[in-house]
Amino acid sequence: MTVPNPTRLLASAGAALAAPLLALVTAVTVTVLVLVGSGSSPLDVLDTMVTYAQRPRSQALMVNSAVTYYFSAVAVAIGFRMNLFNIGVDGQYRLAALLAAAAAAEISLPPVLHVTVVLLIAMGVGASWAGLAALLKVYRGVSEVISTIMLNFIGTALIAYLLTPERLAVRTVGSNNIGTPTIPASGQVPGISLIPDSRLQVYGLAILAVAVGAGYWFLLSRTRFGFDLRAAGASEDAAKASGVRVSRMIIISMLLSGAVAGLVGMPQLLGAAHTFSLDFPAGLGFTGIAIALLGRNHPVGIAIGALLFGFLDNAATSLELRGVSRDIVLVTQGVIVLSVVVAYELVRRVRTRAEQRDVARRLAATTPAPPAPSTPQEVGA
Amino acid sequence: MPANHAGRGQVTDRGRLWLRRPAWPVRAERGPAAGTSCGRGPGLPGRGAGAGTARSPPTFPSIPRGASRIGTEGTQASAADDPETPVAGPATGDREAAAETAAAAAAETTEAAGTESAAFAVELRDITKTFPGVVANRDVSIRVRRGSVHAVVGENGAGKSTLMKTLYGMHRPDSGTILVDGEDVTLRSPADAIARGIGMVHQHFKLAENLTVLENVVLGAEPRKPGWRRLLLDSRQARTRINEIATRYGLDIRPGAYVRDLGIGERQRVEILKVLYRGARTLILDEPTAVLVPQEVDELFGALRDLVNEGLSIIFISHKLDEVLTVADDITVIRRGTTVGTVRPAEVTARQLAELMVGSELPSPEISEESVTDEVALTVEGLSVDTEDGRRAVTDVGFTVRRGEILGIAGVEGNGQAELIEAVMGIRPAATGRVLLGGTDVTAWPTRRRREAGVAYVPEDRIRSGLLFDSPLWENRMLGHQTRPPNSRGGLLTPSAARSDTRQIVAEYDVRTPSVAVAAGALSGGNQQKLIVGREMRDGPTLLVAAHPTRGVDVGAQAAIWDQLRAARREGLAVLLVSADLDELIGLSDTLRVILRGRLVAEADPRGVTPEDLGSAMSGMSRAPAVPSTPAVDTAPGAVTTPAAAAAATDGAGPGAGDVGDTGDSGDTGAAAEPGEDR
Amino acid sequence: MRRFGRFGKITGLVAAASVVVLALGACGSDDGDDGTAPAASGTAAAKSIKVGLAYDIGGRGDKSFNDSAAAGLDKAATGLGVTKTELEAAEGETDAQKEERLRQLADAGNNPIIAVGFAYATALGKVAPEYPDINFAIIDDATLVDVPNVASLTFAEEQGSFLVGAIAAQATKVGNIGFVGGVNTPLIQKFQAGYEAGAKAVKPDIKIQVTYLTQPPDFTGFNDPAKGQTAAAGMYDSGADVVYHAAGGSGGGVFTAAKSAGKLAIGVDADQYLGAAADVQPVILTSMIKHVDVAVYDMVKSAVDGKPLTGAKVYDLKVGGVAFSTSNSAVSPYTAMAEDYQKKIISGEIKVPTTPTS
Repeated sequence: MTVPNPTRLLASAGAALAAPLLALVTAVTVTVLVLVGSGSSPLDVLDTMVTYAQRPRSQALMVNSAVTYYFSAVAVAIGFRMNLFNIGVDGQYRLAALLAAAAAAEISLPPVLHVTVVLLIAMGVGASWAGLAALLKVYRGVSEVISTIMLNFIGTALIAYLLTPERLAVRTVGSNNIGTPTIPASGQVPGISLIPDSRLQVYGLAILAVAVGAGYWFLLSRTRFGFDLRAAGASEDAAKASGVRVSRMIIISMLLSGAVAGLVGMPQLLGAAHTFSLDFPAGLGFTGIAIALLGRNHPVGIAIGALLFGFLDNAATSLELRGVSRDIVLVTQGVIVLSVVVAYELVRRVRTRAEQRDVARRLAATTPAPPAPSTPQEVGA
Repeated sequence: MPANHAGRGQVTDRGRLWLRRPAWPVRAERGPAAGTSCGRGPGLPGRGAGAGTARSPPTFPSIPRGASRIGTEGTQASAADDPETPVAGPATGDREAAAETAAAAAAETTEAAGTESAAFAVELRDITKTFPGVVANRDVSIRVRRGSVHAVVGENGAGKSTLMKTLYGMHRPDSGTILVDGEDVTLRSPADAIARGIGMVHQHFKLAENLTVLENVVLGAEPRKPGWRRLLLDSRQARTRINEIATRYGLDIRPGAYVRDLGIGERQRVEILKVLYRGARTLILDEPTAVLVPQEVDELFGALRDLVNEGLSIIFISHKLDEVLTVADDITVIRRGTTVGTVRPAEVTARQLAELMVGSELPSPEISEESVTDEVALTVEGLSVDTEDGRRAVTDVGFTVRRGEILGIAGVEGNGQAELIEAVMGIRPAATGRVLLGGTDVTAWPTRRRREAGVAYVPEDRIRSGLLFDSPLWENRMLGHQTRPPNSRGGLLTPSAARSDTRQIVAEYDVRTPSVAVAAGALSGGNQQKLIVGREMRDGPTLLVAAHPTRGVDVGAQAAIWDQLRAARREGLAVLLVSADLDELIGLSDTLRVILRGRLVAEADPRGVTPEDLGSAMSGMSRAPAVPSTPAVDTAPGAVTTPAAAAAATDGAGPGAGDVGDTGDSGDTGAAAEPGEDR
Repeated sequence: MRRFGRFGKITGLVAAASVVVLALGACGSDDGDDGTAPAASGTAAAKSIKVGLAYDIGGRGDKSFNDSAAAGLDKAATGLGVTKTELEAAEGETDAQKEERLRQLADAGNNPIIAVGFAYATALGKVAPEYPDINFAIIDDATLVDVPNVASLTFAEEQGSFLVGAIAAQATKVGNIGFVGGVNTPLIQKFQAGYEAGAKAVKPDIKIQVTYLTQPPDFTGFNDPAKGQTAAAGMYDSGADVVYHAAGGSGGGVFTAAKSAGKLAIGVDADQYLGAAADVQPVILTSMIKHVDVAVYDMVKSAVDGKPLTGAKVYDLKVGGVAFSTSNSAVSPYTAMAEDYQKKIISGEIKVPTTPTS
């Protein structure tokens, strides 16, 4: 009875692409409208962006930004999968970067080991800072949203306290900046000449980002632990009934999220700045939230989202040179995230309905024909 | 309200009987020629659209129930004489007395309703409504007599809700006509329906908790003060009208009370009041008893009777057959989207009605052979459980379940069953006492360890606790068993093995699904439950803890689940069964315990006990254990010891079974969203 | 994931979406001005000179030192007839992105290029050698003095602050004054250090309350009048009657607090008496002027003249790079002593510390 329906086959193939396409079309439309409304030519903007994208240096910059964003978004996504909202990635990575930078400058170890130890320190600091929020949630019922935001503030204050000449920082003559001592060469991660013709190298820790992405995917979709985590995120009650200790999952996933958050600052610290100073990039934790949403918590989706954001952020400068405010990029990013979230929700609903219909059709097709003709006679007898 | 008692008395008789008597041929009020709305096989040529509208008038007079009873007195009497009529079973003196009371009561109400017009309040003719790929309603025809309770029954997904949404203007039919008071109408929205005097009381109440009854009732239809003060609510006028309506229809409600302080039954009355306040003459009640405790069901039925006596018409959606038989004047059965027939409650038994609904012989939950062994699977000793807010939900409970034994826990919901089961599963900590699995103290074990030790679990609420709605079936098969093959090995998942195992479950347990990659939320409630039972039984458990395993599932799925439980029991499975379905409990259990306010208060032998006896014990009217040794039909009064309880039991010939004794054909829908129907 | 209210960043993005349409309109008109730079004054050569300016986070409109730099640029654009290109830093960007900004300005043919803020030091240190023919300048940083095509333009904020500290110490009737810093960075600590030294030079036992609005990397302390008002009000409540702020855009809140408390305040960067509303003016006793605009203008001017600045240039009291304002006549009783100190500082008799002692 279930005749393959060509329209439906097409529909199901289209369903996979429907959400991204819908989101893309919406985002482009809104951006164009804003551009036109602000008196800029969308074609000019497009031209500028394309030209920009073709330059090797911009490509390297985009990848470098994306690497940083990727860690941040994966950290957020780990929380999301467990239904936890780790807004504290920002504080976690900054604190981790400061302490890792200070430690890296202090210790002297052979090259690879040095970097490894520093990375572990950063992960440990990030995990501990996130772990505080997890403990508060499990034992005191404090929403992680509140506690991580608060820990961001506390982290900022702690960094300010520690980043003074009396403690972890050193002064440079003639500079108004202040930062930790420069990390010795053994603790620096060389760049990779990934993009040909670009003098700017890609962060060496890009490899670590790939590894973290793969590990994230494997852990969540291939391990029992990942299943427990996803189950707990999808339905706490169902997870409990299935034997998952939800409070334990909260702590573990928050620690994992914090550990990955600790890596956010590492490409910049070990690959470029070699010091944690006042102008160390801040706010990346919030970008991570947007990218995790954009990437639907999927490791590949997050990678695409991170590259997109990396490109847009860097292209903003060339747009500004053409007289287009860099705020247009913020608008575009916001619209993209909104469109993606809305589009996926829409497509999800449509798909669920289609699936239910499919099930119902199947039910109708496989069961014996409705009311036996004899019933009326029986009724009348 | 003697009429109600009489009605219930009769139904209870049937309720008692149907388990034990062979099925009787269904008697309908008219022959096949007139039965144009009855179901037909798909191969039959479709009848002309006019056929339904041009059919002969109904054979029963269009007068309220009390009068109807008088009007058909002859039929009734002859039916009573007819040995094939269910009412004429091995009736005891008790029951005859009840019948007499009924007749007298019926006579009393004749006057009140005798002058009603003969027109139909609502008539649906040949309604067809399709959704992409699915015909939800096909040529459905229903006539609702003014001043009657008209029940619409059918399995989950049969199309009841779709039909009522059509009538309430929530969507428009593809074809067919709707007549209200004889006039052809087009209903574009619920507002249209309300304007036509059709009101709907939803299963899930739509009330603002922090407003008063009065404010809730007038919300959206507020009477204004005159003149310049028209922005102000004229609460005096509102109060007057509400009181007037409440008095007229016997709805006991305080307009000034806050809804948050009201019980479920009272809230339902507020919903009804809301609809009446807006001038409804025909009320649609969607599964109104699903959320009520027995006493509240009783009160609701009383109120409904008052409403029809005042000339209102009620459409009562349900799949609890004994309730339908109690309260309805006419019953229309819907199966697979079309009307199968309209019958009168006096002429069918619950079982016959159920068979009309399913279209096949009904399953019976009874188990015959003895399979209980001496080997203890579960021991619970002195167990007390506290809720999160520190309230003691279970107090000093102890019992054992042996292999091959099904121990049933009966009780009105909210008496500690949920907490007890969660404590056995290790989801909730035990405040005192011990839980032993086959002699091993597992009180300190986490849930996972207990499950790994062979405890399977069918949770009370499959939507919240049993399934991951957005995950595919094969991931749901892993749930609760994710530490074992075929789901995982050494901490790594083995999805392909799980998928193929899920396919086997789907085949063995007849889960109707296109594939195992479908999200669990897409399945109908019954199929979801079959999947849960399938996965829990799959790994060869030694103990199954099952809460309401057939709640909200259709009859077919219920039969399948019962079969599985029986089969597993034969193979030595121990089962701790909590259910609100007394027939399920009586039919499946080897031992029955009654839980009341967190304590096990009575023990019963399922081979002798009746739903009424259980009902009394559950409601606390029977202090002593009800352990009848002889069939309940003869010993119903003897099964209880205290005078109060005895009185209750006699009375229980009326409300008892109606309150707590689902006839088992249906189960309770709970909050289950039935995808098949919910469109 | 329907909880947008929680996303600080996203809320920001969305808010930006709604605001930006309007904002862009304004930007558009700015752009129009660029094309029609007045050719009234300036030489023919000046017209072909393109000046690039890279702002720190906040950019034009931050009511702080970015704006001050913008004022200098505007003056150069109108007065010297040069073409200007402005780029702005974004939150959370790395040195690589700052480098990119400078490179893009260089590639677009701008010369000179001025980087506003010490955060550009590392980036400029990399970019400047790549473009030896282009002259760069950096404000508030002196680490690149050895790079031949970079002018390091720094200020002796502590000297100016010393003088307003001396004025505050004279003006206070109760021997209790306050200092509100925008963000706790070494740069702002210079203001504090000078202020304290100046006040103590006048009244050794004076009580000085100090507070910073935010800690780095939270730089909102430079643009949060509400925080400024709260902090200043707290100081007035605890007995201070003169408060000096080095908090950029947050200073407006300090003045509001002073007005409602009926006490005095001291402005910073520009002569804030001139820009204030008439009813606020009386409370602004004086201002510590830091001539970032002059530094920017000087850089452009030197390029137009064909002798671009290089090396370190310190804008101190001696060259008029920092000063105190006398627009408010109420300050006149105290100026004599301040001018006396000014001479001593210029002569080197007094050495003003750059880090707070407390």
